Amino acid sequence: MSDRLSSLRETIEKILPDVDGVIALRTGPGGIVAPYLFSKEHPGELAELALWPKEPVPDTLKIILRAHPDAKLAIVCRGCEERGIVEMFKHAQFSLENVTLIGLQCDQQEVESCQCFKPFTVHAKLTVGQPVEGVRDPLMAKVMAMSQPEKLAFWKEEFSHCIKCYGCRNICPQCFCNICALEDEKWVETGRLPMPNPSMYHMVRAMHMTAKCVGCHECEETCPADIPMAVQFRLIARDVKEMFNYEPGAVMDQKPPQLLVLEEGEYENTGLPH
Amino acid sequence: MYEPKIIGFLCNWCSYRGADTAGMARMKYPPNVKIIRVPCSGRISPELVLRTFREGADGVMVLGCHIGDCHYSTGNHRTAKRMPVLKKLLEYSGIESERLYINWVSAAEGEKFATVIKDFTEQISALPPFVETMK
Ligand code: SF4
Ligand code: SF4
Ligand code: SF4
Ligand code: FES
Repeated sequence: MSDRLSSLRETIEKILPDVDGVIALRTGPGGIVAPYLFSKEHPGELAELALWPKEPVPDTLKIILRAHPDAKLAIVCRGCEERGIVEMFKHAQFSLENVTLIGLQCDQQEVESCQCFKPFTVHAKLTVGQPVEGVRDPLMAKVMAMSQPEKLAFWKEEFSHCIKCYGCRNICPQCFCNICALEDEKWVETGRLPMPNPSMYHMVRAMHMTAKCVGCHECEETCPADIPMAVQFRLIARDVKEMFNYEPGAVMDQKPPQLLVLEEGEYENTGLPH
Repeated sequence: MYEPKIIGFLCNWCSYRGADTAGMARMKYPPNVKIIRVPCSGRISPELVLRTFREGADGVMVLGCHIGDCHYSTGNHRTAKRMPVLKKLLEYSGIESERLYINWVSAAEGEKFATVIKDFTEQISALPPFVETMK
């Protein structure tokens, strides 16, 4: 831990004079870790630089860039956060022209805690820490091993605990629509708990996360009912890779498949009739 | 045996005319499919399909022009991208993915239309009523 922390601090110190600010985590009053904008005016604050627990920093970047579009910024991002930033860029949430990515590679312990499939950055030119292998979320295999009625029973049980707080949508860096389908009475009934089955809320969100979810687990972390809803997104991500050869955040100049027409050979992968 | 409720979303330019062709030729097919005519199969969003199930449909069909023949050129490319993912989501949610059916029927394919309706109705009849499974 401390090793990565000091080399991250050195990296930030080096870049700090050349930018308006560096977004990273800081241990604030009361020991609470939160995203913070470090600046050359207050270099001493880097003493409070923190690594963990991770926070949805792609959103912090968006908020600052919205207010200051010309700001020259650097941001410390982990693998999932880098993927999130790339997807937000592809969906025109901000420009990356004046943004420097500082990749922070996750360690084994963090990978275990997230069950992350790709715990390292691939675009950042500056990186800190040694990349380690990702793991497959075991819940994916568990759900896949269930029979159809078992799957149904599993999700009925999980979603029966949902209090529809919208926390999973609010925290998601990839949920940035100005008008959200989940607030539209046509699709999602308000004022009814537990949610009726099938859960429109969760199924609509799952469809919207197609080719977008970067596997940051923020939604599952934030859920007060501990619902592992993103397992479905991860299963779908596997299919999207097979059908349309797309992996969110992986290739900077590859457009997401929902923005494109069918390409040569893709139809054959969809399982649709001829 | 129960009579399944099936909703068929048919695009105006090919499949709806294919249904007409079948009707004109007085072809016989089961009456379970309620047809809703839409401008293009690309109009059918996952939300619409899901709500159709929520309203109690036992099966949903989306029929459009063959790839390459869409009146709006690539409307059905959307269909071909979204519906397979939705089928996967149904599967992962524990809902029989065969409740959602996608195919391409041209204006001339009256016979294909009748066959598709017959086969899908049989397929859905073999499943329990959807609302029962949601209780
Ligand atoms: S965060 Fe959890 S409880 Fe809140 S809406 Fe999402 S799934 Fe439901
Ligand atoms: S759906 Fe969840 S895991 Fe996926 S990007 Fe959004 S917050 Fe992260
Ligand atoms: S749930 Fe869908 S509509 Fe709502 S913010 Fe997320 S992507 Fe947008
Ligand atoms: S007009 Fe028939 S599918 Fe688009």
